[in-house]
Amino acid sequence: MKPAPFSYIRVATVEEAANALSEYTDAKLLAGGQSLIPLMNYRLSKPTVLIDLCGIEAFASVSLKDDVFTIRAGITHQSLHEHPLVRAYAPVLAECAGEVGHWAIRNRGTLGGSLAHADPASELPAAMVALDARFVLTSVRGERTVTARDFYLGLFTTDLAEDEILTRIHFFASSANRIHFAEIARRPGDFALSGAFVRVEESATEITWFGVSDMPYHLTLDALPVEEKARQALFTSLASTLEPLDQTVYRRKLAAVVAERAYLKGRRVQA
Amino acid sequence: MSDALHHLQKNALKPKYTGARVTRKEDARLLTGASRYLDDIEIPGMYEIAFVRSQRSAARICAIHLDAAQATPGVKRILTAKECPCFFGSAEDVANGVVQPALARDVVRYVGEPIVAIIAETRYAAEDAVERVQIDYEPLQPVLAMRESLLDQPRRVHEKTPNRMFHSEYQTSGFEDAFQAAPHHLVEVFQTHRQTGVPLETRGLAATIDPGSGRLTIYATHQSPHGLRGDMAVALGIEENELRVIVPEVGGAFGIKAHAYPEYLVVAYAALKYKLPVKWISDRTECLLTDVHARDDIHEVEVAFEGNGRILAIRDHLRADAGAYSAFPFCGAIGETVLASRVLTGPYTIPHLATTIDCTYSNKTPLGAYRGVWGPIASFVQEGIVDRVARALHLDPVEVRRVNMIPDELFPYTNAAGQAYDRGSYRASLEKALEMLNYDELRAQQKTLRDHGKYIGIGISAFVEPTAMAQSEAGSVPYESATIRIEPNGSVTAAFGLGPSGQGHETTMAQLIADELGVDLKDIVVLHGDTDSAPFGGGTGGSRSGPIGGGAALKAGRAMKEKLQTLASHLLEAAKEDVQLEDGKAFVAGVPTRNFSIRELAQVAYTDVLRLPEDFPVGLEVVARYQPKRPVTFSNGTHIAVVEVDAQTGMIEVLDYVVVNDCGRLINPLIVEGQIQGGVAQGLGSAYLEELRYDDQGQVTTTTLADYLLPVATEVPRMRIAHLETPSSGEGGFKGMGEGSLIASPAAFANAVSDALEPFAFMVSALPVTPDQILAAIDRSRDSMA
Ligand SMILES: Cc1cc2nc3c(=O)[nH]c(=O)nc-3n(C[C@H](O)[C@H](O)[C@H](O)COP(=O)(O)OP(=O)(O)OC[C@H]3O[C@@H](n4cnc5c(N)ncnc54)[C@H](O)[C@@H]3O)c2cc1C
Repeated sequence: MKPAPFSYIRVATVEEAANALSEYTDAKLLAGGQSLIPLMNYRLSKPTVLIDLCGIEAFASVSLKDDVFTIRAGITHQSLHEHPLVRAYAPVLAECAGEVGHWAIRNRGTLGGSLAHADPASELPAAMVALDARFVLTSVRGERTVTARDFYLGLFTTDLAEDEILTRIHFFASSANRIHFAEIARRPGDFALSGAFVRVEESATEITWFGVSDMPYHLTLDALPVEEKARQALFTSLASTLEPLDQTVYRRKLAAVVAERAYLKGRRVQA
Repeated sequence: MSDALHHLQKNALKPKYTGARVTRKEDARLLTGASRYLDDIEIPGMYEIAFVRSQRSAARICAIHLDAAQATPGVKRILTAKECPCFFGSAEDVANGVVQPALARDVVRYVGEPIVAIIAETRYAAEDAVERVQIDYEPLQPVLAMRESLLDQPRRVHEKTPNRMFHSEYQTSGFEDAFQAAPHHLVEVFQTHRQTGVPLETRGLAATIDPGSGRLTIYATHQSPHGLRGDMAVALGIEENELRVIVPEVGGAFGIKAHAYPEYLVVAYAALKYKLPVKWISDRTECLLTDVHARDDIHEVEVAFEGNGRILAIRDHLRADAGAYSAFPFCGAIGETVLASRVLTGPYTIPHLATTIDCTYSNKTPLGAYRGVWGPIASFVQEGIVDRVARALHLDPVEVRRVNMIPDELFPYTNAAGQAYDRGSYRASLEKALEMLNYDELRAQQKTLRDHGKYIGIGISAFVEPTAMAQSEAGSVPYESATIRIEPNGSVTAAFGLGPSGQGHETTMAQLIADELGVDLKDIVVLHGDTDSAPFGGGTGGSRSGPIGGGAALKAGRAMKEKLQTLASHLLEAAKEDVQLEDGKAFVAGVPTRNFSIRELAQVAYTDVLRLPEDFPVGLEVVARYQPKRPVTFSNGTHIAVVEVDAQTGMIEVLDYVVVNDCGRLINPLIVEGQIQGGVAQGLGSAYLEELRYDDQGQVTTTTLADYLLPVATEVPRMRIAHLETPSSGEGGFKGMGEGSLIASPAAFANAVSDALEPFAFMVSALPVTPDQILAAIDRSRDSMA
C-alpha cells in the first residue's frame, strides 16, 4: 500500500498550477488528498507529478456580494461547515459539509477536490447541482464557466479538461432558500447510501438525489402533494426510475425515504 | 488512584490491590504514543519485504516472470518456493498436500496466498517490484460452497485429500426417543459469515542475526512468544537456544496473532539464509485478505421442546469452512465447531444433544482463531433457539430462560456434551440484568411505542464462557510460569511467559504480587515478551492469562514471601509465622517497630551474605508454575441489548446495553470493564457490520475498511456493567473473562433485532444482519399481510 514513484511540486498561485498542469503529462492536482492519496496508495492512480494546491494563497476564501456567493475551491469541508456567511445565508451547504466523513477528513478535504472527484455518493457535488452553482475552470488557455448541472457527466466523470483547475464556485444565496437535505449512511461519516436535497416552492419542487445512481440526479416537478401517502407514493415512483450501482431495491427505497425526510425537515423549518 | 480511594485501601484489611480499580501501569506510555511497536524497531540496514500474492482463488502456476522485478532499483533478493522451501506443520500433512507452504509452489489455493517475496531497501521499492512480477496461471474451478465441498464438488482443493477434513458425531443416549416424544419441534438454519480480528496494529515480523552471538533474533507481534519460538525453530531447523523471540508492544491481537503465518517463515528464513536484517509488516489489505478469517459456520438445528418452554433436545449439524489450508497451529474450523458443540446447551439444563460436525476445505483464506472462537457462534445458536421457542409458544423470552436455566443446586453441573461447569451465578446474573434494565416496564413501553410505529427490541443473551482451558488457541500448555526476583536494592522484577496485547498484565500481575509481598505497586516491574528473560509459558489466548497466569503470580509471590519471612525471622529472632509483610517491611506481628525493610533484607541476601541463615540460598529469586486442577473454569453472565429498528430504512440504533458479568474473583474491575466494552464493540461489529464477502470467483470484495465495516466510537453504546463474583476453585478464585463479552454480545444484538421485528414475524438467522435484509424482511411481511 505504497504509491508508485512520483515527483512533487508545490505551487503558490493558480497561474503556476495551470502552467505546471499544462507542462507535465500524467500530472495530477493534489488538494486535501483525501481521495487521491488512497487511490495512489492502492496504485489505482499513478500520476508521475503531483501539483500541490495547498500553498496557493487565499485559495479558501468565501465572499457574498449582491446575493452572489463566491467560494474558492481550496476551502476545506470543515471551514465550509463552520463559515459564518455560509451558516447564515446557505445553511444547507454548511449542514451537508458537516456530513462529509469525519472531522479529520473534513479538516483536509476541500470543496474543489470533492467537486472534481465526483464521487456519486458525495454530498457537495449534489449540493452544487441543487444550488444551480457555476464552476469557474482555469487553465493556461484562460477561464470558462460551466454550470454544476452540466459539469457532471457520469461516474467519477466530469467536464473538467486535463489542463483545467476548478478555481471558484458561484451561486445565488437566494437559491439556497428552501433547500433541505437528508441522508442515510451505515455509520456517521460514511458515504451516503442515499441522500437528497429537496427544494419546495409554492408551485414547484426540485429534488437532487445522490448516492443512488452514477451522479447527482436532479429533477423539477410541480408542487408536491400535501397528503403524506400520495407524496410518498410520488417519491417512490420517482425513485423507481433511478439506476443504482448496486443494491437496487434497497437504494431506491432509501431514495424515497430521504426525499420525504428532507421535505419534512423543510416543512418543519418553514412552519 | 484518587486520594480517597488510596486512603480507604490503606486502612482496609489486606489485600490492598487485588480487586481494586487500579489504573493501568501501561496507560501512560500507550496514551502518549510512547509505546514501541514492531514497526518502531529499527535495525541498521534493515530491508523490507513485500509479497506477490495470488490474484486467483484456484489456479496452477505455469510460470513466474521475475526479470523486470529483478531490475527494479532497490531490490536485493527475490524468493520463490524454490529458494524458500519452508513450511510449518507435520510431514504427514505435507505429504497429503494440506499444509500451506511459506510460498505457494505449483498451485495457489486462495486469493492473497503469498507466491513471491521481494526483499528491497524500502517497502516502496519492494512494491514497485511486486507490480512488475508477472505470473501465468492456468485457472482451476474454485471450491467455494460448504455444501458442495462436502461432496468434493466441484473438485478437491487438495488432490490427495478429500475436502471433508474433519468429521465427528456425538449423541446422548436416548436422544432419538426423547426427541421424537417431545410435543413441539422447530427447525432453523443459523449462519455466521466470515470476519477477522482487525487489530489496529497489523501483524508482521522482523528478523536479524545478532552479530555478537550469531543467534537469530525475531521481533514479532504475537500472543505466544515461546510458542512462536518453538514453531519457528522446528520449521527453520535450528535449536531453540539459537533463537530469541522478542515481542514488543502489541497493538491488539484478538486470536489472529496466536497464529504462525507463512510470511513469518519467509522473513526469518531470509534473515538466516542471507544474513540480512529484514522485516515485513502487513498493510490493511493484506490484513483483511490473509489474517486468519473466522466464523464461517452453518448450524442446521432441530429443537424438541415442551409447551411450557422446556427444551428437551437439540440436534445440530455443524459445518465450518476451513479455507484452503489448516491454519497453523490451530484450525479455526475444527476449533469453532468442536468447541461450539460442547457448549451448545449454554446455561440451560437441556438433557439431550446430538451433533454432527463437518469441516471442509475451500478456496478461501484459512480459518483460525478470533476472540471467542466458537463461543459467539454457539451463543448465537443457543440464544436464538431459546427465543424461537418463546415465539413459537407465545411466551416471554425471559420465562423460557427461567424454565431452562440450570438451578444453583445442580452445580457442579455436567452438560449434555459432558462439559463440567463449575459453580456460577447463572440465575442471579439473569435476574440482576433484568432488574438493571427495568425489564417489565420496558416491555410495556415497547408495546406502546409499537402502536406509534416505533420498533424497540430487547435482546437477551445468557452465556457460558469456558476459560483457562488446558488446550486453546494459545497452544497446549496447561500451566503458566512466573519468576520473581528481588533486586539488591529491594525493588521487584517479575517475568511471565504471557503475551499481552492490551489486557494490562503489567498491572494485574503486579497487583497480585504486591499484595503477597506487601510492597507498593510502583516498586514492581513486570517483564514479558522476550524469550531470553521470560520463563517458558503458553502465552495469552483462550482467556487464560488471568486465571492461570494470575495463579502463577500468586504462587511465585507466596514462594518469595516465604523466603522473606524465613530471612526476616532469622534476623529478627522471631518465629516465622509471626513475621508479617506490609508497606515494604517485614515486621513481627503486633510489634511493627521490630522490622527489616525489604531493601535491608535484599542487602543481606545479596551482599551481607554472612548474615544469612544456614541453608538459605544467596539472592532472592523464585520461579513458580501453576497448573489448575480443573482443565477449564466457566465464567458466566447475562447481556441485554435494547435497540430501535427504523422500519423505513432498516437502520439499527442501540439504545441501551446492560452487562452482568461473573468471572470469579476480580483482580481489577476497571480492566475487566475495559475488556467487556471492547468485546461488546466487537460483538456489535459481528452482529451488524463486519463481513468478509467473496464473489463467485473466490475474490474477496471487502479489502478495505471502507467495505469491511468496523464499529467505531459513534456506534458503540454506553453500557452499564455490574459484577457478580463466584470464585473458581483455582488459585485466587479467578476465572477468565477475555472473551465472554464477545461470546454474549452478538446473540444479544441479534435477538434484539428479532424482538423488534416480531410484528413482522422476522428472526435473525444469519450474522451480520444488515439494513437491506431487514427492509426486505419487513417488505415480505407487509406483502404477505396485504
Ligand atoms: C474515510 C473517508 C471518508 C469520507 N467520507 C466522505 C463522505 O461521507 N462524503 C464525501 O463527499 N466525501 C467523503 N470522503 C472524501 C473527501 O470528501 C475528500 O475530501 C474529497 O472527495 C476530495 O477532496 P480532496 O481535497 O481531499 O481532494 P484530493 O484527494 O486531493 O483530490 C481528489 C481529486 O480531485 C482533483 N482535484 C483536487 N482539487 C482540484 C481542483 N481545484 N481542480 C480540479 N481538480 C482537483 C485531484 O486531482 C484528484 O483527482 C471521505 C474520505 C475518506 C478518506
